Amino acid sequence: MVYYLIVCRSLTYAQRTAAALERAGITAHILRSPKIIDQEGCSHSVKVAERSLADALTLLARAGLSPKRVFVMSSDGSYKEVLL
Amino acid sequence: MIYLDSAATTMQKPPAVRRAVSAALGRMASPGRGGHRPAMLAAETVFACRQAAAELFQVPDPEQVILTGSATQGLNLAIKALVRPGDTVLISGYEHNAVTRPLHALGAQVKVAAGPLFRPEALVRRFEELLTPEVACVICTHVSNVFGYVLPVETVAALCLRRRTPLIVDASQSAGCLPVSLADWGAAFIAMPGHKGLYGPQGTGLLLCGAEVKTVPLLEGGTGSASASQEMPAFLPDRLEAGTHNVCGAAGLLEGLHYVRRRGTADILAHEQALLRRAAQGLAEIPGVRAGVDPMLRCQAGVLSFNLEGMDCEEAAAALSERGIALRAGLHCAPLAHQTAGTFQTGTVRASFSAFNTAREVDRFLREMERLAPARR
Repeated sequence: MVYYLIVCRSLTYAQRTAAALERAGITAHILRSPKIIDQEGCSHSVKVAERSLADALTLLARAGLSPKRVFVMSSDGSYKEVLL
Repeated sequence: MIYLDSAATTMQKPPAVRRAVSAALGRMASPGRGGHRPAMLAAETVFACRQAAAELFQVPDPEQVILTGSATQGLNLAIKALVRPGDTVLISGYEHNAVTRPLHALGAQVKVAAGPLFRPEALVRRFEELLTPEVACVICTHVSNVFGYVLPVETVAALCLRRRTPLIVDASQSAGCLPVSLADWGAAFIAMPGHKGLYGPQGTGLLLCGAEVKTVPLLEGGTGSASASQEMPAFLPDRLEAGTHNVCGAAGLLEGLHYVRRRGTADILAHEQALLRRAAQGLAEIPGVRAGVDPMLRCQAGVLSFNLEGMDCEEAAAALSERGIALRAGLHCAPLAHQTAGTFQTGTVRASFSAFNTAREVDRFLREMERLAPARR
Protein backbone atom coordinates (compact mmCIF):
# COMPACT_ATOMS: atom_id res chain seq x y z
CA MET A 1 0.00 0.00 0.00
CA VAL A 2 1.35 3.40 -0.93
CA TYR A 3 1.48 5.96 1.85
CA TYR A 4 3.19 9.23 2.68
CA LEU A 5 5.44 10.17 5.57
CA ILE A 6 5.42 13.77 6.75
CA VAL A 7 8.75 14.18 8.52
CA CYS A 8 8.59 16.46 11.58
CA ARG A 9 11.35 18.21 13.50
CA SER A 10 10.33 16.74 16.84
CA LEU A 11 7.97 14.29 18.47
CA THR A 12 5.91 17.16 19.87
CA TYR A 13 5.66 18.72 16.42
CA ALA A 14 4.57 15.36 15.02
CA GLN A 15 1.94 15.16 17.75
CA ARG A 16 0.66 18.63 16.89
CA THR A 17 0.59 17.68 13.22
CA ALA A 18 -1.25 14.42 13.82
CA ALA A 19 -3.71 16.10 16.18
CA ALA A 20 -4.53 18.77 13.57
CA LEU A 21 -5.09 16.11 10.90
CA GLU A 22 -7.19 13.88 13.13
CA ARG A 23 -9.36 16.84 14.14
CA ALA A 24 -10.10 17.33 10.43
CA GLY A 25 -10.97 13.67 9.99
CA ILE A 26 -7.72 12.62 8.32
CA THR A 27 -6.29 9.44 9.81
CA ALA A 28 -2.73 10.15 10.93
CA HIS A 29 -0.32 7.82 12.67
CA ILE A 30 2.93 8.83 14.36
CA LEU A 31 5.99 6.64 13.92
CA ARG A 32 9.73 6.96 14.15
CA SER A 33 11.15 8.02 10.79
CA PRO A 34 12.92 5.21 8.90
CA LYS A 35 16.67 5.71 9.19
CA ILE A 36 17.06 5.96 5.43
CA ILE A 37 15.03 9.17 5.23
CA ASP A 38 16.14 10.58 8.53
CA GLN A 39 19.16 12.73 7.75
CA GLU A 40 19.61 14.27 11.20
CA GLY A 41 19.20 11.09 13.23
CA CYS A 42 16.08 10.33 15.30
CA SER A 43 12.94 12.07 14.15
CA HIS A 44 9.27 11.29 14.00
CA SER A 45 6.96 11.22 11.01
CA VAL A 46 3.24 11.31 10.52
CA LYS A 47 1.93 8.65 8.19
CA VAL A 48 -1.07 9.48 5.99
CA ALA A 49 -2.80 7.55 3.23
CA GLU A 50 -2.05 8.37 -0.38
CA ARG A 51 -5.52 9.79 -0.94
CA SER A 52 -5.20 12.16 2.04
CA LEU A 53 -1.92 13.90 1.25
CA ALA A 54 -3.27 16.85 -0.70
CA ASP A 55 -5.91 17.66 1.91
CA ALA A 56 -3.39 17.12 4.68
CA LEU A 57 -0.87 19.54 3.22
CA THR A 58 -3.54 22.18 2.61
CA LEU A 59 -4.77 21.84 6.17
CA LEU A 60 -1.28 21.94 7.66
CA ALA A 61 -0.39 25.05 5.67
CA ARG A 62 -3.53 26.71 7.02
CA ALA A 63 -2.61 25.69 10.56
CA GLY A 64 0.93 27.03 10.18
CA LEU A 65 2.42 23.56 10.60
CA SER A 66 5.06 23.21 7.93
CA PRO A 67 6.39 19.70 7.26
CA LYS A 68 10.15 19.36 7.22
CA ARG A 69 10.04 16.95 4.28
CA VAL A 70 7.55 14.52 2.76
CA PHE A 71 8.35 11.05 1.44
CA VAL A 72 6.26 8.55 -0.43
CA MET A 73 6.69 4.88 0.23
CA SER A 74 6.38 3.08 -3.05
CA SER A 75 5.01 -0.41 -3.57
CA ASP A 76 8.58 -1.77 -3.86
CA GLY A 77 9.30 -0.54 -0.32
CA SER A 78 11.57 2.33 -1.31
CA TYR A 79 11.15 5.94 -0.19
CA LYS A 80 11.17 8.89 -2.55
CA GLU A 81 11.08 12.49 -1.48
CA VAL A 82 8.08 14.48 -2.64
CA LEU A 83 9.02 17.97 -3.77
CA LEU A 84 6.60 20.41 -2.17
CA MET B 1 -2.63 15.57 61.01
CA ILE B 2 -4.22 18.71 59.61
CA TYR B 3 -2.11 19.85 56.70
CA LEU B 4 -1.92 23.62 56.25
CA ASP B 5 1.33 23.83 54.27
CA SER B 6 0.10 23.83 50.69
CA ALA B 7 2.30 26.80 49.78
CA ALA B 8 5.18 24.31 50.08
CA THR B 9 3.36 21.47 48.33
CA THR B 10 -0.22 20.29 48.27
CA MET B 11 -0.18 16.97 50.07
CA GLN B 12 -3.79 16.02 49.44
CA LYS B 13 -4.18 15.30 45.71
CA PRO B 14 -7.21 14.32 43.67
CA PRO B 15 -7.43 10.50 43.71
CA ALA B 16 -7.00 10.42 39.92
CA VAL B 17 -3.49 11.85 40.33
CA ARG B 18 -2.34 8.91 42.45
CA ARG B 19 -3.95 6.42 40.08
CA ALA B 20 -2.33 8.03 37.04
CA VAL B 21 1.14 8.00 38.61
CA SER B 22 0.78 4.36 39.55
CA ALA B 23 -0.54 3.38 36.11
CA ALA B 24 2.27 5.25 34.35
CA LEU B 25 4.86 3.47 36.48
CA GLY B 26 3.63 0.12 35.24
CA ARG B 27 2.80 0.90 31.62
CA MET B 28 4.83 3.76 30.24
CA ALA B 29 8.38 3.99 28.89
CA SER B 30 10.29 7.04 27.64
CA PRO B 31 8.73 9.40 25.06
CA GLY B 32 10.66 9.82 21.83
CA ARG B 33 13.01 6.96 22.63
CA GLY B 34 11.20 4.20 20.79
CA GLY B 35 8.31 3.49 18.50
CA HIS B 36 6.88 0.71 20.67
CA ARG B 37 3.61 1.00 22.52
CA PRO B 38 4.96 1.85 26.00
CA ALA B 39 7.07 4.68 24.53
CA MET B 40 4.18 6.01 22.44
CA LEU B 41 1.80 5.82 25.39
CA ALA B 42 4.27 7.90 27.39
CA ALA B 43 4.54 10.35 24.49
CA GLU B 44 0.76 10.70 24.29
CA THR B 45 0.56 11.39 28.03
CA VAL B 46 3.32 13.99 27.98
CA PHE B 47 1.75 15.70 24.98
CA ALA B 48 -1.68 15.69 26.65
CA CYS B 49 -0.07 17.33 29.68
CA ARG B 50 1.43 20.07 27.49
CA GLN B 51 -1.90 20.58 25.74
CA ALA B 52 -3.85 20.80 29.00
CA ALA B 53 -1.37 23.35 30.36
CA ALA B 54 -1.45 25.33 27.09
CA GLU B 55 -5.24 25.54 27.28
CA LEU B 56 -5.34 26.50 30.96
CA PHE B 57 -2.66 29.18 30.66
CA GLN B 58 -3.47 30.45 27.17
CA VAL B 59 -0.24 29.38 25.52
CA PRO B 60 -0.70 29.42 21.74
CA ASP B 61 1.28 26.27 21.07
CA PRO B 62 1.99 23.20 23.28
CA GLU B 63 5.62 23.30 22.10
CA GLN B 64 5.99 26.43 24.25
CA VAL B 65 5.17 24.40 27.37
CA ILE B 66 8.37 22.99 28.91
CA LEU B 67 8.18 20.24 31.51
CA THR B 68 10.54 21.01 34.37
CA GLY B 69 11.27 19.44 37.74
CA SER B 70 10.15 22.50 39.70
CA ALA B 71 9.37 26.21 39.44
CA THR B 72 12.97 26.79 40.52
CA GLN B 73 14.25 24.97 37.45
CA GLY B 74 11.90 26.97 35.25
CA LEU B 75 12.99 30.25 36.81
CA ASN B 76 16.65 29.33 36.33
CA LEU B 77 15.98 28.57 32.66
CA ALA B 78 14.13 31.86 32.23
CA ILE B 79 16.67 34.00 34.08
CA LYS B 80 19.67 32.45 32.36
CA ALA B 81 18.05 33.04 28.98
CA LEU B 82 17.53 36.74 29.57
CA VAL B 83 20.17 37.93 32.04
CA ARG B 84 23.90 38.25 31.38
CA PRO B 85 26.47 38.96 34.11
CA GLY B 86 26.32 42.60 35.10
CA ASP B 87 22.86 43.21 33.60
CA THR B 88 20.39 45.30 35.55
CA VAL B 89 17.26 43.43 36.60
CA LEU B 90 14.18 44.88 38.27
CA ILE B 91 12.38 42.58 40.70
CA SER B 92 9.54 42.95 43.19
CA GLY B 93 10.29 43.09 46.89
CA TYR B 94 8.47 39.78 47.38
CA GLU B 95 10.67 37.43 45.35
CA HIS B 96 11.75 33.98 46.47
CA ASN B 97 15.35 32.75 46.58
CA ALA B 98 14.56 30.85 43.36
CA VAL B 99 14.79 34.29 41.73
CA THR B 100 17.31 36.14 43.87
CA ARG B 101 19.94 33.39 44.12
CA PRO B 102 20.32 32.87 40.34
CA LEU B 103 20.58 36.66 39.94
CA HIS B 104 23.23 36.77 42.66
CA ALA B 105 25.15 33.91 41.01
CA LEU B 106 25.04 35.75 37.68
CA GLY B 107 26.36 38.96 39.26
CA ALA B 108 23.30 40.90 38.11
CA GLN B 109 22.64 44.44 39.34
CA VAL B 110 19.32 44.05 41.11
CA LYS B 111 16.84 46.89 41.62
CA VAL B 112 14.00 46.11 44.02
CA ALA B 113 10.50 47.53 43.64
CA ALA B 114 9.39 47.29 47.25
CA GLY B 115 6.09 48.39 48.69
CA PRO B 116 4.01 47.72 51.77
CA LEU B 117 1.91 44.57 52.03
CA PHE B 118 -1.47 44.61 50.28
CA ARG B 119 -0.90 48.01 48.65
CA PRO B 120 -0.66 47.15 44.94
CA GLU B 121 -0.96 50.78 43.80
CA ALA B 122 2.21 51.68 45.71
CA LEU B 123 4.04 48.74 44.17
CA VAL B 124 3.01 49.73 40.64
CA ARG B 125 4.35 53.25 41.26
CA ARG B 126 7.71 51.80 42.31
CA PHE B 127 7.86 49.64 39.19
CA GLU B 128 7.07 52.69 37.05
CA GLU B 129 9.85 54.69 38.72
CA LEU B 130 12.48 51.95 38.56
CA LEU B 131 11.79 50.52 35.09
CA THR B 132 14.43 52.55 33.29
CA PRO B 133 16.01 51.83 29.90
CA GLU B 134 19.02 49.92 31.28
CA VAL B 135 16.77 47.25 32.84
CA ALA B 136 17.34 44.00 30.92
CA CYS B 137 14.35 42.24 32.39
CA VAL B 138 11.66 42.43 35.06
CA ILE B 139 10.83 39.58 37.41
CA CYS B 140 7.62 39.62 39.43
CA THR B 141 6.03 36.96 41.56
CA HIS B 142 2.26 36.72 41.17
CA VAL B 143 1.54 35.80 44.80
CA SER B 144 3.96 36.09 47.72
CA ASN B 145 4.70 32.64 49.12
CA VAL B 146 5.02 34.18 52.59
CA PHE B 147 2.04 36.52 52.84
CA GLY B 148 -0.34 35.47 50.07
CA TYR B 149 -0.16 39.03 48.72
CA VAL B 150 -1.46 39.04 45.13
CA LEU B 151 0.87 41.38 43.30
CA PRO B 152 -0.51 43.53 40.45
CA VAL B 153 1.17 41.40 37.81
CA GLU B 154 -1.29 42.34 35.04
CA THR B 155 -0.39 46.04 35.46
CA VAL B 156 3.33 45.24 35.67
CA ALA B 157 2.99 43.16 32.48
CA ALA B 158 1.29 46.04 30.66
CA LEU B 159 4.06 48.37 31.82
CA CYS B 160 6.72 45.96 30.54
CA LEU B 161 4.99 45.71 27.16
CA ARG B 162 4.85 49.50 26.87
CA ARG B 163 8.52 49.82 27.72
CA ARG B 164 9.52 46.77 25.66
CA THR B 165 11.18 45.01 28.58
CA PRO B 166 10.88 41.23 28.89
CA LEU B 167 8.96 39.96 31.91
CA ILE B 168 9.39 36.75 33.90
CA VAL B 169 6.48 35.81 36.16
CA ASP B 170 6.82 33.41 39.08
CA ALA B 171 3.37 31.82 39.28
CA SER B 172 4.34 29.36 42.01
CA GLN B 173 1.49 30.32 44.33
CA SER B 174 -1.07 31.44 41.75
CA ALA B 175 -1.18 28.69 39.11
CA GLY B 176 -4.37 26.80 39.83
CA CYS B 177 -6.17 29.48 41.84
CA LEU B 178 -5.82 32.69 39.81
CA PRO B 179 -6.00 33.42 36.09
CA VAL B 180 -2.53 33.04 34.56
CA SER B 181 -2.24 33.90 30.87
CA LEU B 182 0.87 33.94 28.72
CA ALA B 183 -1.13 35.45 25.85
CA ASP B 184 -2.72 38.27 27.86
CA TRP B 185 0.40 39.24 29.76
CA GLY B 186 2.81 38.97 26.85
CA ALA B 187 5.40 37.63 29.28
CA ALA B 188 8.70 36.21 28.07
CA PHE B 189 8.41 33.35 30.57
CA ILE B 190 6.02 32.12 33.25
CA ALA B 191 7.35 29.50 35.66
CA MET B 192 5.28 27.37 38.03
CA PRO B 193 5.49 24.16 40.04
CA GLY B 194 3.26 21.24 39.16
CA HIS B 195 2.95 20.05 42.76
CA LYS B 196 1.25 23.00 44.45
CA GLY B 197 -1.95 24.51 43.07
CA LEU B 198 -1.92 22.20 40.06
CA TYR B 199 -2.05 19.13 42.36
CA GLY B 200 0.55 17.11 40.46
CA PRO B 201 3.29 15.05 42.13
CA GLN B 202 6.42 16.57 43.65
CA GLY B 203 9.21 16.85 41.10
CA THR B 204 7.00 18.41 38.43
CA GLY B 205 6.89 21.95 37.07
CA LEU B 206 6.11 23.95 33.95
CA LEU B 207 7.85 26.75 32.12
CA LEU B 208 5.71 28.64 29.62
CA CYS B 209 7.85 30.32 26.96
CA GLY B 210 6.90 33.33 24.87
CA ALA B 211 6.89 32.73 21.13
CA GLU B 212 9.90 34.84 20.24
CA VAL B 213 12.18 34.28 23.23
CA LYS B 214 15.72 33.02 22.89
CA THR B 215 16.37 30.08 25.20
CA VAL B 216 19.52 28.64 26.73
CA PRO B 217 19.60 25.00 27.89
CA LEU B 218 20.64 24.32 31.47
CA LEU B 219 21.43 20.74 30.48
CA GLU B 220 22.71 19.21 27.27
CA GLY B 221 22.02 15.62 26.34
CA GLY B 222 19.69 13.26 24.54
CA THR B 223 16.36 14.58 23.32
CA GLY B 224 15.24 11.79 20.98
CA SER B 225 15.54 14.25 18.09
CA ALA B 226 18.27 15.40 15.65
CA SER B 227 20.60 12.89 17.29
CA ALA B 228 23.32 13.13 14.62
CA SER B 229 24.10 16.70 15.68
CA GLN B 230 26.21 17.58 18.70
CA GLU B 231 24.30 20.84 19.09
CA MET B 232 21.15 20.91 21.16
CA PRO B 233 18.07 21.24 18.92
CA ALA B 234 17.08 24.82 18.23
CA PHE B 235 13.37 24.09 18.68
CA LEU B 236 11.21 23.77 21.77
CA PRO B 237 10.45 21.81 23.83
CA ASP B 238 13.43 19.56 23.01
CA ARG B 239 15.97 22.36 23.45
CA LEU B 240 15.17 22.64 27.16
CA GLU B 241 14.29 19.02 27.94
CA ALA B 242 17.48 16.96 27.71
CA GLY B 243 17.29 13.56 29.39
CA THR B 244 14.48 11.20 30.26
CA HIS B 245 11.19 12.86 31.15
CA ASN B 246 9.45 12.42 34.47
CA VAL B 247 6.64 10.53 32.75
CA CYS B 248 4.95 9.40 35.97
CA GLY B 249 5.02 13.01 37.13
CA ALA B 250 3.55 14.23 33.86
CA ALA B 251 0.78 11.62 34.08
CA GLY B 252 -0.10 12.83 37.57
CA LEU B 253 0.20 16.48 36.61
CA LEU B 254 -2.16 15.90 33.69
CA GLU B 255 -4.82 14.68 36.12
CA GLY B 256 -4.10 17.64 38.40
CA LEU B 257 -4.62 20.01 35.47
CA HIS B 258 -7.90 18.24 34.64
CA TYR B 259 -9.01 18.70 38.25
CA VAL B 260 -8.23 22.44 38.22
CA ARG B 261 -9.94 22.84 34.85
CA ARG B 262 -13.08 21.02 36.00
CA ARG B 263 -13.41 22.79 39.34
CA GLY B 264 -12.28 26.18 38.04
CA THR B 265 -9.66 28.53 39.44
CA ALA B 266 -12.34 30.98 40.63
CA ASP B 267 -14.05 28.32 42.72
CA ILE B 268 -10.73 27.13 44.18
CA LEU B 269 -9.73 30.70 45.06
CA ALA B 270 -13.12 31.39 46.66
CA HIS B 271 -12.78 28.24 48.77
CA GLU B 272 -9.25 29.08 49.89
CA GLN B 273 -10.18 32.69 50.65
CA ALA B 274 -13.15 31.56 52.72
CA LEU B 275 -10.78 29.44 54.80
CA LEU B 276 -8.32 32.33 54.99
CA ARG B 277 -11.06 34.69 56.20
CA ARG B 278 -12.17 32.18 58.84
CA ALA B 279 -8.60 31.70 60.04
CA ALA B 280 -7.86 35.44 60.07
CA GLN B 281 -11.03 36.24 62.02
CA GLY B 282 -10.25 33.51 64.54
CA LEU B 283 -6.64 34.59 64.99
CA ALA B 284 -7.72 38.20 65.49
CA GLU B 285 -9.60 37.09 68.62
CA ILE B 286 -6.60 35.35 70.17
CA PRO B 287 -4.54 37.70 72.35
CA GLY B 288 -0.92 38.06 71.34
CA VAL B 289 -1.37 36.92 67.74
CA ARG B 290 -0.37 39.30 64.95
CA ALA B 291 -1.39 38.22 61.46
CA GLY B 292 -0.69 39.76 58.04
CA VAL B 293 -4.16 40.16 56.59
CA ASP B 294 -5.57 42.26 53.78
CA PRO B 295 -8.73 43.56 55.52
CA MET B 296 -10.97 43.21 52.44
CA LEU B 297 -9.10 40.18 51.01
CA ARG B 298 -8.87 42.28 47.86
CA CYS B 299 -5.38 41.06 47.09
CA GLN B 300 -4.64 38.03 49.28
CA ALA B 301 -4.75 34.42 48.17
CA GLY B 302 -4.90 31.42 50.54
CA VAL B 303 -1.68 32.09 52.47
CA LEU B 304 -1.53 33.67 55.92
CA SER B 305 1.53 34.63 57.96
CA PHE B 306 1.38 35.32 61.67
CA ASN B 307 3.40 35.55 64.86
CA LEU B 308 2.60 34.68 68.42
CA GLU B 309 3.87 37.28 70.89
CA GLY B 310 6.76 36.08 72.99
CA MET B 311 7.24 32.86 71.04
CA ASP B 312 9.79 32.06 68.35
CA CYS B 313 8.07 31.24 65.08
CA GLU B 314 9.86 27.88 64.77
CA GLU B 315 8.89 26.95 68.33
CA ALA B 316 5.28 27.87 67.59
CA ALA B 317 5.25 25.70 64.45
CA ALA B 318 6.88 22.83 66.36
CA ALA B 319 4.31 23.12 69.17
CA LEU B 320 1.49 23.12 66.62
CA SER B 321 3.03 20.13 64.86
CA GLU B 322 2.96 18.21 68.16
CA ARG B 323 -0.74 19.08 68.33
CA GLY B 324 -1.31 17.68 64.83
CA ILE B 325 -1.20 20.88 62.77
CA ALA B 326 1.35 21.02 59.92
CA LEU B 327 2.55 24.57 59.15
CA ARG B 328 5.81 26.11 58.06
CA ALA B 329 7.82 28.71 59.95
CA GLY B 330 10.96 30.78 59.38
CA LEU B 331 11.87 32.82 56.31
CA HIS B 332 10.17 30.48 53.79
CA CYS B 333 13.16 30.78 51.39
CA ALA B 334 12.09 34.38 50.80
CA PRO B 335 14.27 36.67 52.95
CA LEU B 336 13.61 39.57 50.60
CA ALA B 337 9.86 39.32 51.18
CA HIS B 338 10.43 39.36 54.94
CA GLN B 339 12.75 42.38 54.61
CA THR B 340 10.10 44.20 52.59
CA ALA B 341 7.34 43.40 55.07
CA GLY B 342 9.48 44.06 58.16
CA THR B 343 9.47 40.49 59.50
CA PHE B 344 13.04 39.51 58.63
CA GLN B 345 14.22 39.40 62.25
CA THR B 346 11.36 37.29 63.55
CA GLY B 347 10.26 35.25 60.56
CA THR B 348 6.65 34.14 60.60
CA VAL B 349 4.47 31.08 60.97
CA ARG B 350 2.62 30.41 57.73
CA ALA B 351 -0.70 28.68 57.21
CA SER B 352 -1.57 27.94 53.60
CA PHE B 353 -4.72 26.34 52.26
CA SER B 354 -5.68 24.15 49.34
CA ALA B 355 -8.87 23.04 47.66
CA PHE B 356 -8.93 20.02 49.99
CA ASN B 357 -8.85 21.85 53.34
CA THR B 358 -12.09 22.31 55.25
CA ALA B 359 -13.62 24.82 57.66
CA ARG B 360 -13.50 22.14 60.38
CA GLU B 361 -9.75 21.86 59.93
CA VAL B 362 -9.38 25.62 60.29
CA ASP B 363 -11.50 25.53 63.45
CA ARG B 364 -9.30 22.81 64.91
CA PHE B 365 -6.20 24.87 64.05
CA LEU B 366 -7.76 27.87 65.83
CA ARG B 367 -8.57 25.77 68.91
CA GLU B 368 -4.95 24.64 69.10
CA MET B 369 -3.79 28.23 68.71
CA GLU B 370 -6.06 29.30 71.56
CA ARG B 371 -4.56 26.58 73.75
CA LEU B 372 -1.03 27.52 72.75
CA ALA B 373 -1.38 31.27 73.28
CA PRO B 374 -2.29 31.27 77.02
CA ALA B 375 0.42 28.71 77.69
CA ARG B 376 2.99 31.30 76.62
CA ARG B 377 1.71 34.20 78.70
